[in-house]
Amino acid sequence: MSKQGMSRRDFLKTTAAAGCGAIVASQLDFARGLIARVEAGELTAAEAYELLRAENTLYTVCLNCNTGCGIKVKILDGVAVKIDGNPYNPFNLHPHLEMKDAPETAVKVDAGLCPKGQSGHQGAYDPYRITRVLKRAGKRGENRWQSIPFDQAITEIVNGGLLFKNVAGEESRQVTGLKELYALKDGKLFEEMGKDIAALRKKKPEERKKAIDEFKVKHAANLGVLIDPDHPDFGPKNNQFVYFWGRKKGGRSNFAAAFNGAFGTVNTHGHTTVCQGSLYFACKAMSEQYVGNGFKDGQKFYWQADQENSDYVLFVGANLFDGNYGPTNRAMRMTQRLADGKLKMTVLDPRFTKLAAKAQRWVPIQPGTDAAFAMGMTRWILENKRFDAKYLANCNKAAASAEKEATWSNSAWLVKLDKDGKPGKFLRAHEIGLKPAEKRKDKDGKEFDFEYLVAMKDGKPVAFDPNDDKEAVKGELFVATELKDADGKPVKVKSGLQLMQEAAQEKSIADYATLCGTDAATIEAVAKEFTSFGKKACVDMHRGPAQHTNGFYTISSLMNLNLLIGNFDWKGGMIAASTFNFDGTSSSTDKQPFNFKKIGPKGQKTFGTSIIRHDWKYEESSLFAGKASYPAKRNWWPISSDVYEEILPSIADAYPYGAKVVFSYMGAPTYSLPAGQTQIEALTNLEKLPLYIASDILVGPTSMYADYIIPDLHYLERWEFQGSHPNMPVRIQPVRQPVIASPNEVVTVFGEQQPLSYETFWLALAEKLGMKGFGKDGFGPGQDFNRPDDFYIRMVVNLALDRKEPVADASQSEMELFLKSRRHLPKDVFDPDRWKAISGTAWPKVVTVLNRGGRFDSQSVTYKGDQVANKYGKQINLYQEKTAGCKDAFTGKSFHGMARYVPVTDTLGNAPTKQAEGYPLHLITQRDVRHCKARTITNQYLTDSMPENGIIIHTSDAKKLGVKSGDKVKVVSSTNPDGVWNLQNGTKKPMVGTVQVTETIRPGVITFTLGHGHWDSGAADVVIDGKTVKADKRRAAGIHANAAMWIDPHLKNTCMIDTVGGSVSFYDTKVKLVKV
Amino acid sequence: MQKDILLTMQEDLERALIQSTDKRRWAMLIDVRKCVGCHACTIGCVSENKLPPKLQYRPVHEYEQGKYPLVSRTFLPRPCMQCDKPPCVPVCPKVGKATWKETKGTGAGIVPVNYSECISCGKCVKACPYGARTLDPGGFHTDGTPAVQQYEKLPAFEYGRKLARDGKGLPIRKARKCHFCLHRLAAGQLPMCVTTCIGRATYFGDENDPQSLIAQVKKGAKMQILKANKGTAPRVYYIANEKLEVLYV
Repeated sequence: MSKQGMSRRDFLKTTAAAGCGAIVASQLDFARGLIARVEAGELTAAEAYELLRAENTLYTVCLNCNTGCGIKVKILDGVAVKIDGNPYNPFNLHPHLEMKDAPETAVKVDAGLCPKGQSGHQGAYDPYRITRVLKRAGKRGENRWQSIPFDQAITEIVNGGLLFKNVAGEESRQVTGLKELYALKDGKLFEEMGKDIAALRKKKPEERKKAIDEFKVKHAANLGVLIDPDHPDFGPKNNQFVYFWGRKKGGRSNFAAAFNGAFGTVNTHGHTTVCQGSLYFACKAMSEQYVGNGFKDGQKFYWQADQENSDYVLFVGANLFDGNYGPTNRAMRMTQRLADGKLKMTVLDPRFTKLAAKAQRWVPIQPGTDAAFAMGMTRWILENKRFDAKYLANCNKAAASAEKEATWSNSAWLVKLDKDGKPGKFLRAHEIGLKPAEKRKDKDGKEFDFEYLVAMKDGKPVAFDPNDDKEAVKGELFVATELKDADGKPVKVKSGLQLMQEAAQEKSIADYATLCGTDAATIEAVAKEFTSFGKKACVDMHRGPAQHTNGFYTISSLMNLNLLIGNFDWKGGMIAASTFNFDGTSSSTDKQPFNFKKIGPKGQKTFGTSIIRHDWKYEESSLFAGKASYPAKRNWWPISSDVYEEILPSIADAYPYGAKVVFSYMGAPTYSLPAGQTQIEALTNLEKLPLYIASDILVGPTSMYADYIIPDLHYLERWEFQGSHPNMPVRIQPVRQPVIASPNEVVTVFGEQQPLSYETFWLALAEKLGMKGFGKDGFGPGQDFNRPDDFYIRMVVNLALDRKEPVADASQSEMELFLKSRRHLPKDVFDPDRWKAISGTAWPKVVTVLNRGGRFDSQSVTYKGDQVANKYGKQINLYQEKTAGCKDAFTGKSFHGMARYVPVTDTLGNAPTKQAEGYPLHLITQRDVRHCKARTITNQYLTDSMPENGIIIHTSDAKKLGVKSGDKVKVVSSTNPDGVWNLQNGTKKPMVGTVQVTETIRPGVITFTLGHGHWDSGAADVVIDGKTVKADKRRAAGIHANAAMWIDPHLKNTCMIDTVGGSVSFYDTKVKLVKV
Repeated sequence: MQKDILLTMQEDLERALIQSTDKRRWAMLIDVRKCVGCHACTIGCVSENKLPPKLQYRPVHEYEQGKYPLVSRTFLPRPCMQCDKPPCVPVCPKVGKATWKETKGTGAGIVPVNYSECISCGKCVKACPYGARTLDPGGFHTDGTPAVQQYEKLPAFEYGRKLARDGKGLPIRKARKCHFCLHRLAAGQLPMCVTTCIGRATYFGDENDPQSLIAQVKKGAKMQILKANKGTAPRVYYIANEKLEVLYV
């Protein structure tokens, strides 16, 4: 109860109006209006202020950046007019409301939200949206379109033919349709061929020819389904359908997987490497689990700081107040503690970011040298014994548990050295006759040999199982010794931490400091600070260190610092995201009725090398014939995937094989990737990319090169399960749901009307191809799969029923509110009777979830004692055995198992000195909180606040160039000496930007914010059905300088890349500025 | 754990609304140390009050000081100061009718504008030392695109008027300014700039209520006001490490 004798909740219920009658009416003469009537007690507050009515409010999830904050959409006359933060969602309110709080409570609470989120409805009501299928009526990229019936599009895409005979030069171009690529359909054959290909991969290069011949004999009757019988490892023709995506979350991922699994292509690729791929894949490597005969089950994820409890965070190339995941959730957890001095920060960044502006220390580091800083810190911490020795000594789960640690590392495990002293695999106990391997069964019941590992204890080797939770084993941390193998031969070994120390000692701290443009004292001071707060200190990093050619090792070096203090899963330490399950495979309940692994279309056991060659070693390929095969034409990615920059250029190179049909979803590689003009070249290659279909809500920077654009729904009109991000300690699952009607054409698929969408497209393809598991009885007898909500409502049911305690049933009044607040939605979007029938008895729980925009655990159960309740709770690799077992496809050299500083290079390992000659300025990029990448230019609240970006340059550099703020300059580099975007449609858009002179950037470095400089999305005229849709000039404002970023000299049609972690090189290019 | 200050301030607000007008004193306090320069307040306000392009009630000014590498950045949100001695009021030819310092009702302490009475002379705009007033230039954000969109034409609720923006009539050409979201206060909600702030840098409430968060924060820190030399007696206070009178001139 408050001091006034009324609880907050009571007050919220009664609303302010209860007391207002007592207030003397205002003298505002115009306030005969609503306020006066409220004051006079004639109206309730919600009657006067319609945006305060629960029936005018719906909760969903933003997608103007991938943070995916909760949003509260206020609707007037069926139109979304105002967007605020969702108070049920911990991304917006801290702590957030409880699930048990009624919507009448929540409606009064508008929670925080960044400006992008607030302008979300402007994207939905963008006059440049497309609502019918557009078919190319001119050359690719020429921006001439014809709108066509959806059914016609589906027929053409499936059947192929002379699809563009009306376009000059394409009169006789025969296009292959999807039908022809749906070549292999027999599940048994998929399985058998796949098994044989798996065996083929394991063969030595010299044995491969013979094995392929045998394969051809065995499968003689079916060789026709293969792309190339001489290279059966390319897989079936089905793989020549390539699907890639930009921003896609749960639900839609599952939807696409349902189609592609059934279709049988391996070519489904995300965009991770344009964001922070090497961060994801370094952490995947660190999270690989020892399973007895190797490492597997690494998670493509990463850790971030539990910033609301940290005492000290070293932020590296992470600007939480402009980007990251993300400003809304992280800022509100930090600002008071920063102001009070309870949270101290050091920021490593060449830019004096908004975050740096609140930090105790700013280290304006030289781009690309973050690992040097990390290794300098590592050296100091090891030499000064500032690490958590007790934590690092824990070899297994039992040892960790005994010390209340949730995680443990392999710091004390022994690694074998080769004859050159190079570390390789961990020593297995049976190799030194210490303990034999034992037969165990994996989770599928398959028998395998479990090999024990070895640590040194009191000078003697001891065997252990890392996942043993009974017998604790602690090891010595610094070991470099020689043991004897079973035959008495010497085996040289070193411990993980020893290897780390040696890697760190490759250079002096002073040398590291020189590399990164700081001084040894700074590195030492930061190392000392970082190790002065126990477990409540973190190294939290993002794209800055990741998007370099050395990104993978850099991230590993930085993340390893967290291992040195053992902060994982501790309050204020590094934490992982946790979510509620929606696909029906939760291990914590058996109440979920819809297991999507078992219902719906059956996935094939797809096989073959993907077009981007991920999860595959070059040496395992039929293209590899021994050492002479180095360097490979393009990279192979044994430990990374979703390598965005590889997709289109690989297709253009037909390496390892040609693609026939490409489909992209919410992706803009031409705009978002470095050297994006190379992606445009690939897209306009009709021969190598014969059919390209894009899903988009408008004619975007990449979809403008499509043959067909399938209109999609805006995020306010559709479903998705947003998931969480690693800085969020609360278990959540925000649900994106339709809150407004779509303007799209309504079409009929499987006999049911539905607005054109991404899902509609997949469903229509499945219908046309006659694929099983879709349409009538798709989810079982009487359970049709005809439309998006057939899929997503089942997922909401699963979500509501996850964990031991499901969500509570909605009350009768909430059920009524649910209907009333959706009264503006058409039946083809919202059909409560159908939804109720799907949900069965779970219907009132579904309503509870949807009325709150998702499911969110309480803040009160988020921590347990000094640790987070939702733990990562597993082994974390300081030394990466799996990584060390892979080779670089260009140089043939082994990857490093122990992270270290390596310089920036091209794919052949050469320093980019030649490219840099005559180009003195180091180009990097950054975000402004008012823009995402490609998609926020449509939102006028944002462009009005920030009409253009600029070239941000230090005063001293501006002086040298003789430029001042407001001057126009062109950005040129050795791989783009004209400084233009060649759009391959006759237009070359110059990369000219306005100079912004500042003291807040490292001299020698220039930057620009992403989001401007468009040539698409309403920035250029387009012709549809013979009529010109005039451009809005605001959308072309500012500069997008990605086309200046270096092209790799070996690849020639792709930007520079991190050959290990997949990241694109965003921050390694040298440019010069030419006064315009 | 403590509740989000948005909820605390909402409770404060509810208490203030049942307080008698003469005892209540609306005030705003901006802790610049907590402002992360996100412009959420600016845009939340634009959206809530249906402001046309180039019109902001609450811009966030950015400042940079020092020489590399010893630099600082300051983000300074600037709403209407709702001055107790507002220079904009006496210059208005429609004395006490188009704009005035309100003394009664929920809006007591706020300087409102009655669009119906405003004669668009622009004198108040020039008189404000903070640039907090603008004559509405008209227009829509979707002007210059294939079609002006419905969301821009639907009514705003400023001053409780439910006024649709039809492109010609009120409030176009009239003096427009921040009013602490009076229509939201009357409905028991905090001003939009307060609720949307991701750094929780803006405080609002009855500073005469010693239990209110704003009163407590104000008590515990050194306050600054903008352009103290103008003698305007602002109702908007600032906490900052920097001397704001040096930055904001």
